[in-house]
Amino acid sequence: MSRIVVDGRTIPYESGDSVAMAVLRAGEHPHHGGALCLAGDCPNCVCEVDGIAYVRTCQTPAKPGLVVRRHPEVGAPEIREPAQPNVARSPAAAHIEVRRIETDVVVIGAGESGRIAEAEAVAAGRAVTVLDSADGNEVVAIYGGPTVIVRRPDAMVHYNANEVVVATGAAEIQPVCPGNTLIGIVTARAADQMHTAGVDLGVAVAVGTPPQTAPCMAVPGSLVRIVEADGKLSAVVVSHDGNETTTPCDTLIVGLGFAPRDVLSRMAAPHLPVRTVGQAAERFALPPCPTAGIVCPCSKIGVDDLDGVWDRGFRELELVKRASLTGTGTCQGSVCVPHLRAFIAERSGAIPEPFTARPATRQITLAEAAADVHTDVFRRSPLHDEHLALGAQLDRFGGWWRPWNYGDHVAEYWAVREAVSLGDVSTLGKLVLSGPDVVELLERLYPTTVADIKPGRSRYVLLLNERGHLIDDGMICRETDSKFVLTFTSGGAANAEMWVRDWIETWGLRVHVLDQTMSLAAINVTGPLAGELLQRVGLADQPSFLHHVHATVAGVACHVMRLSFTGEASFELHHPADRSAELWRALMASGRDLGVKPHGLQALFGLRLEKGHVIVGMDSEMDSTPRRLNMDWAVKMDKPDFLGRSALARTADLPDERRLFGFTVEGAAPTEGSPIFSDGAIVGHVASSFTSPLLGHGIMLGWLKHTPWPEQVQIDGRTATVARPPFYDPEGLRARA
Amino acid sequence: MLALETLHGTRIVAAPEALDALDAATWSTSVTVLRFAPDDVFVLGAETISISGEYAIVEAESGFVGCWLTDEQLAHVAEHIDWPLPVERPVLVQGFVAGVPAKIWLTSSATGERSLLLCAAPYACELTERLA
Amino acid sequence: MNEFVETLLDLQWHEPKSTYDVVIIGGGGHGLATAYYLATRHGITNVAVVEANYIGSGNSGRNTTIIRANYGIPESVRFYQHSLDLYSTLEEETGCWIMHATKGLLWLAHTETAMRSERARCLLNTACGAETVMVDPQAAKAICPQLDLSGGGRYPVLGASHHVGAATARHDRVVWAYAQGAMRMGVHVLQNTQVTGLLRDGERVTGVQTANGNISAGVVLSAVGGNVTTIANHAELRLPVRTHPLQAFVTNGYAQSLGPIISDTELFCYVSQTARGQMLIGAEFDPQPSYSTQSSFNFLQSCTSKVTHLLPFLKNLRILRQWTGICDVSADFSPIIGHTGVDGLLITTGWGTWGFKAIPAGGSLMAELIATGKTPPLLEPFGLDRFASDQALADQGSTGTR
Ligand SMILES: Cc1cc2nc3c(=O)[nH]c(=O)nc-3n(C[C@H](O)[C@H](O)[C@H](O)COP(=O)(O)OP(=O)(O)OC[C@H]3O[C@@H](n4cnc5c(N)ncnc54)[C@H](O)[C@@H]3O)c2cc1C
Repeated sequence: MSRIVVDGRTIPYESGDSVAMAVLRAGEHPHHGGALCLAGDCPNCVCEVDGIAYVRTCQTPAKPGLVVRRHPEVGAPEIREPAQPNVARSPAAAHIEVRRIETDVVVIGAGESGRIAEAEAVAAGRAVTVLDSADGNEVVAIYGGPTVIVRRPDAMVHYNANEVVVATGAAEIQPVCPGNTLIGIVTARAADQMHTAGVDLGVAVAVGTPPQTAPCMAVPGSLVRIVEADGKLSAVVVSHDGNETTTPCDTLIVGLGFAPRDVLSRMAAPHLPVRTVGQAAERFALPPCPTAGIVCPCSKIGVDDLDGVWDRGFRELELVKRASLTGTGTCQGSVCVPHLRAFIAERSGAIPEPFTARPATRQITLAEAAADVHTDVFRRSPLHDEHLALGAQLDRFGGWWRPWNYGDHVAEYWAVREAVSLGDVSTLGKLVLSGPDVVELLERLYPTTVADIKPGRSRYVLLLNERGHLIDDGMICRETDSKFVLTFTSGGAANAEMWVRDWIETWGLRVHVLDQTMSLAAINVTGPLAGELLQRVGLADQPSFLHHVHATVAGVACHVMRLSFTGEASFELHHPADRSAELWRALMASGRDLGVKPHGLQALFGLRLEKGHVIVGMDSEMDSTPRRLNMDWAVKMDKPDFLGRSALARTADLPDERRLFGFTVEGAAPTEGSPIFSDGAIVGHVASSFTSPLLGHGIMLGWLKHTPWPEQVQIDGRTATVARPPFYDPEGLRARA
Repeated sequence: MLALETLHGTRIVAAPEALDALDAATWSTSVTVLRFAPDDVFVLGAETISISGEYAIVEAESGFVGCWLTDEQLAHVAEHIDWPLPVERPVLVQGFVAGVPAKIWLTSSATGERSLLLCAAPYACELTERLA
Repeated sequence: MNEFVETLLDLQWHEPKSTYDVVIIGGGGHGLATAYYLATRHGITNVAVVEANYIGSGNSGRNTTIIRANYGIPESVRFYQHSLDLYSTLEEETGCWIMHATKGLLWLAHTETAMRSERARCLLNTACGAETVMVDPQAAKAICPQLDLSGGGRYPVLGASHHVGAATARHDRVVWAYAQGAMRMGVHVLQNTQVTGLLRDGERVTGVQTANGNISAGVVLSAVGGNVTTIANHAELRLPVRTHPLQAFVTNGYAQSLGPIISDTELFCYVSQTARGQMLIGAEFDPQPSYSTQSSFNFLQSCTSKVTHLLPFLKNLRILRQWTGICDVSADFSPIIGHTGVDGLLITTGWGTWGFKAIPAGGSLMAELIATGKTPPLLEPFGLDRFASDQALADQGSTGTR
């Protein structure tokens, strides 16, 4: 005979038994008392099953070896750590199968009304799926779509349907009277189930409508209280025609009427094609107003509690619920809502509508909800493996894995300043634009003049939104009269692409766009020896500063852009992604004797800070105008129009206290984000900082947001001096060299 | 384990009408025309392509990786897709596969052609891992 | 009677009048707290709070109850720290048990960029009086032993900022504490009374139209949460506010085990355990603006996936209930409090997904503004006019984790 384990003891069960039935068969109670419905409505059979608490055992088929633990009688169940490891797999809960099924009609409930609904739909030639918990399909919730989420023993199933029919029938009313939490109370339908299963009910007494098959003695009258002896019920007191009678019994069977099981219908959004049929749609009479006993078994709320909140002025159904906590437990009000409504109806004279139902009716675990969810994808540059081979510490930045450093960011820094270094800038946004209106587009998009950029030349540009606030920056490279290549920051690329496309559409301009962000890799060759290294690998005619050419470098076709973010001569080689490792290796090999090293973001952030170059999102804020960034030079207000122009014009004369400044400090640089003090008050904060190996002291970009702007401030308890970036090579001779 | 390899071809962004002509043209069996968008096409396998319209953007494209799928492989991939696949063939579908932005050129197995799963190269590793 | 009920104070309802000195639209935390402080601090009791539904039916009764001050700009840190301080004495002041518990909050960082932000947050917050310290992964684990420092192998924890004073309190009990206090002083709270328009005398707002008749007022305050744009419309006022749904869910109750509040700056999800043992879990607001309070399975999926990466012990817990509120998100992710430019109409809005913690400070300072006609210094930066003068208080980075 098969067995399950309950609180450490084995209990035999018979085929077809639910866990609850097996426990009852063993003469025990699955929980700690309360009327059992064995229909999934009440919370009186919930247990921990195989490590998962709050499982309705009446809905859980007994299986060999199932480990069942009762919840503690007082207090909440312990949390059991999941056995499965938290693996780095996507989806993380891949051990739970998820099935997604498209279907026409879903009927929830295989009872009489469900069968009728099914037959009707079939007759109409529609595909129908009938879901019933008796067949292992526990419907969790109906969401928009409509999507019906179903929990099965072997899988989660998500049904997308055109129509949902809720045919969930009615739940039996639970008794509310003193003693109603005792062991030995069952509803009439539960009694029949137990009888059919061959479970001995002992001396059974029925109050209200008696069960159909379970043998019992029917006692006329209404329930007054249930009498306890030895921790379980021993008798029932009934009032009939004004007389109270006490009837001893082992089992009390209650047939107190019904309430619609309409939680799913009430949960579904009003506009969804969700119909409710049969008893679930019926308006049953409410039970009599409860006078004593536990109303909400989930939260152990008694009628005295309802009285208590009522007397304190909590009168709306929702307020009574929230103040008493009635209906906020596991059964989601299945047991208490009819009694609660009856209570309020009697006190107020008006019957309140039941409260809104919210997912979930049948519960799932977090793992079951997450079962098929994939984490975000992190992009890898074509040089990913090269970086790893060089000992890079990778970090995620703008959705990409990028080298943070290769072990020694200061050595990387010096390679840039004194020799030559490679940086992987494949992650930059890269758009090709072509069309008769392309100049018109760019003139409107950018605050810079564009028409005067000659083919072969490029220009640094700010991207502003309509409020005149900086949203990105990058380069414009003109290829021909009607063709441009634009670059954007790695983190801003995706938004920038949408931004450009949106405006083309909005303005109705004739411009084609090709996003090459992921098609082209890019290597920044930077440092005083960059030119020499490139010479060695075949770049003979080198573009001068802010020029760009198409050329073959180490056998790879490259778009070579001469610019500078690091402050040294820099050549950005944009090239086909599949040739990137080859190019990188050629550059590393040819530059060995020059001292070539790769540099990561950490060194780059310092290098550019010495030049005072702003990183969008790091130094700039959501509302940074060019003026606040000291970048008015990049804005041509004499252009007739560009995005942000009217906002800039309007705000130009407004008083403004916000400005990005450079700062220097003796010794090591303060931590980024440090507050800046003046006369003891916070007047701003450090945006970026770097201890410059070359200058031998700390340099910073930081915001001052209170005027008059001081010339000296306190940062990190030290005096810092406002300085004008660049901190290094102010004439920009090295970049142009 | 699916082996995703670089797909070499030509990327063309041009007026939709011009690309319609490419779509409609008869190509040798080694050529596959993937219409990413009304104005955007990726032509695999063709040596040279002529396109009308002086502003068309025509660039060599090697930024995608892909794998031609057997029927079993396709079925396996389909298990990682949470949106319904169309019945029409051949057809290019685009969306998340195992949470990775990807595309599938679905052909009809009746003609013996294989389907092609492709994604941008930066996603290749994660897609391979997730489909393993 | 259980302790939840025993500790409730009385709500005293009044028959509505047709005129009040102050009419507050919206019986959420902000509306009721304003009424409470008007009555208790400024002796202004001829006040009505007009609520479309029942008190606390908006976000004040739906939030995930996180009270913290670790924001990104000094103006906000000071404001929220003031609120935190008021919260910690609210039980004593009102005599209501709001189940206030100081737990501390960990904000986890998984990238160098996030570490940088958290370091900055620690420095700024500590300087502004909201103690926040950087902790390394081991220290984070000591504070929260359930943390998976590998983040499911996907989101390794590089460090965290530990905001020591963060707390939680039972949301609706906060609402009631203020309601009871205000009603006891004679403030009228009119439930089931939706405001459908504003009474105007020329430009000036002189009262409200409701489904149950007009009510005139010396001053009208709009404190309507996600519905603010509809009220503003009645005054032809355009606000830089968009309404977004925000969802959350709660598990069944389990034995107490999670000490601090855990929040993640990259995954935008957060968890705390309530006094009833339930895990209260939320994430970022829905990206599309909407007034809908329907919950979605997508949200549940992505949120459960995220939190279980960080806290795998949650995997086997069962989800009890999921719900949605609609949030008034301002353009700069900071609140908008004060004058509107329309005579007679004040607003408190832009509370978005983070305004529960602000209820005491928002209410008391708004009351001071109404009573004295002067904007208290802590409120000064938060005026609506900041948008026109381009002095926005951009702080999106501080709001994602409530
Ligand atoms: C899921 C969720 C989680 C959150 N978590 C947190 C958190 O952890 N920490 C935190 O600080 N904040 C959190 N918030 C935000 C916080 O709940 C809100 O910012 C705060 O409650 C706002 O309070 P309020 O009084 O302004 O608005 P509400 O509480 O929404 O009150 C507005 C009231 O106005 C009423 N009303 C609307 N229109 C009218 C009308 N025309 N006439 C009359 N009455 C009207 C409504 O019925 C409502 O009762 C969360 C929000 C949500 C939705």
